Amino acid sequence: MTNVPEPLLKRGVTAMDNAQYPDQAVGEPFADDHKMSLRNVNVFYGDKQAIFDVNIDIARNEVIAMIGPSGCGKSTLLRSINRMNDTVEGCVVSGELTLDGEDIYTAKMDPVALRARVGMVFQKPNPFPKSIYDNVAYGPRLHGLASRRAELDEIVETSLTRAGLWTEVKDRLDQPGTSLSGGQQQRLCIARAIAISPEMILMDEPCSALDPIATAKIEELITELSQNYTIAIVTHSMQQAARVSHRTAYFHLGHLIEVNETEKVFTAPEHELTEAYITGRFG
Amino acid sequence: MTDLKNGSVKQTNLNQSRSDIIERSLAKRYRAEKRFRCYGIMAIAFGLMCVALLFTDIISKGYKAFAQTYIQLEVTYDANLLGIADLNDPQQVVLGDFQGIVKQALKNRFEEVSGRKAKRELYGVISNGAGYRLRDRLVANHQLLNQSETLWLVADDDIDAYYKSIGSDAGPFVGRMSEQRQGWIEQLTEAGEVELRFNHNFFTQGDSREPELAGIRGAAMGSLFTLIITILLSFPIGVAAAVYLEEFAPRNRWTDLIEVNINNLAAVPSIIFGLLGLAIFINFFHVPRSVPLVGGLVLTLMTLPTIIISSRAAIKAVPPSIREAAIGVGASPMQVVLHHVLPLAMPGMMTGAIIGMAQALGETAPLLMIGMVAFIVDVPGGFTDPSTVLPVQIFLWADSPERAFMEKTSAAIMVLLAFLIVMNTLAVILRKKMERRW
Repeated sequence: MTNVPEPLLKRGVTAMDNAQYPDQAVGEPFADDHKMSLRNVNVFYGDKQAIFDVNIDIARNEVIAMIGPSGCGKSTLLRSINRMNDTVEGCVVSGELTLDGEDIYTAKMDPVALRARVGMVFQKPNPFPKSIYDNVAYGPRLHGLASRRAELDEIVETSLTRAGLWTEVKDRLDQPGTSLSGGQQQRLCIARAIAISPEMILMDEPCSALDPIATAKIEELITELSQNYTIAIVTHSMQQAARVSHRTAYFHLGHLIEVNETEKVFTAPEHELTEAYITGRFG
Repeated sequence: MTDLKNGSVKQTNLNQSRSDIIERSLAKRYRAEKRFRCYGIMAIAFGLMCVALLFTDIISKGYKAFAQTYIQLEVTYDANLLGIADLNDPQQVVLGDFQGIVKQALKNRFEEVSGRKAKRELYGVISNGAGYRLRDRLVANHQLLNQSETLWLVADDDIDAYYKSIGSDAGPFVGRMSEQRQGWIEQLTEAGEVELRFNHNFFTQGDSREPELAGIRGAAMGSLFTLIITILLSFPIGVAAAVYLEEFAPRNRWTDLIEVNINNLAAVPSIIFGLLGLAIFINFFHVPRSVPLVGGLVLTLMTLPTIIISSRAAIKAVPPSIREAAIGVGASPMQVVLHHVLPLAMPGMMTGAIIGMAQALGETAPLLMIGMVAFIVDVPGGFTDPSTVLPVQIFLWADSPERAFMEKTSAAIMVLLAFLIVMNTLAVILRKKMERRW
């Protein structure tokens, strides 16, 4: 009882009255062959704690979906994985986050180098106001991945092809990226993220600003990319989580409640909070 | 059943009265809206009227300054009269009595004039500066020595004012003109030997005590050199300060203090900057006074807050999503600024800079403090030549007693306004053209 957060009580969700946050997430939060591993992670914005003691592994080449009601901290956690939160003033991350066994929050780890290994796709498509070509070529140029123009051309072509955009834009690579439609812009952003061959891609609600057809294309793309990349995706759409992910993690007000095979989460959730959420009793 | 019926009737009544209320309040709202729009139009109309009044007044007073009265005379480059034996000797050329041959030419034209007083009157018809023009012609073409040629020479400012006002509603402006002189002008007019021509001097000469010789080129060049110094210093410093404050500085009490002080600086009376410049640049660093260099330094201090504030606004307007995208692909903070923030903020920053420059161009008070109010005849050729600037020139001419300086003042204001309009238009065009949508 004491553990139940205020807002829940106010909404009169009586079924939740007896719900308790588990000390550890129920289900199978850990994986043997993990790409990324989080141990006792806490995130604070000033005095406010946004993430409480999260322990989870992200397996190699899996798609893990993070779901939960608004403000549950899933985006915050995602942005901690590539240290995007460094740019937010007053944000402090504690605990151990390792990428291939390397702690990413040590002085030895350069955040810029980390972000070259862990790419990110944002909620709103945010292409640079430059040409389509330059958008994709920006990352490789920054990191000096191509020494010759031909190499760069090849990177741009393969990235755009992988993002499923090549046939649509190959004749107008010099046009501004902002002239594309919303769905195309988002695929351009994905192409931009994979152009630097990251090991992992973080997606923060990549489809929330897109129409259903564009969403379907992005989802298809995520499934394809999962063969080569480890992907963590935050989403508000449970259908989307069910369609694209292998495992699903459910967050509730900063606590990780349950991690399980996606199918299991949506058919037979172990925790009552998860069940309440996926059956639409709150969220 | 009846209850139910009554209830529904009541409901209908209620609906009707509610829509009445809404309709009435709507009418009231629309009236208020109309009134509000009316106030706006009135305010703009008032502003436009003031501008129109200002422009008609200035233009009606000043347009005549772009023309100048010239008198046609046949001059003879008499070597004896000039006292020049060898044209290659600069000493002789400088000392040559060129005004003397002008006098001779006048004497030849009006042979009937006799008596010291009358002659003095006659000699005053042509400007004192006419001799310099003859000297330049002779130096350029040595063959003219002992030859004659017919030239249009600049008339004295009294003649100019009189000739320009002939036929005006208030009658000709006589001023200091004697009847004798008026007669001569009449004679010349009949012979077609006096006319209004385009006033080259106004655009090619520096200041002068003689209104007919005074020009704005000196002041315009002074303004140009001063503004070059100002933009070269204030733009990089202002942009660097804005970028640091917006992108790198932590938000704490110190940066708040800096921000408050920048805003304070923008509101400091400009004459204080003049005193500061006098104390620091001239008295402490011994920069020469009255030169564009020190003027530019002082105006830099004055323009900096404007540029910093507008640059910060421009940087703030760059959407954070662009920064995130760049950080997300692994750009370092400096790369984020150089590759994305600065190019996107540039139009806004340049608009701010141009508006700051326009402000600096019109600034007078601080320049008075650092000696740029001096009477300077030579057109400055560099950053350390004594000079004055356009608004100070206007101030100087407005203060001069000669009537002819009145129209010069208005003409100089027109030139200054033209520069300001060009600069502000440029700022608008730049903003429209370079603005990128995302």
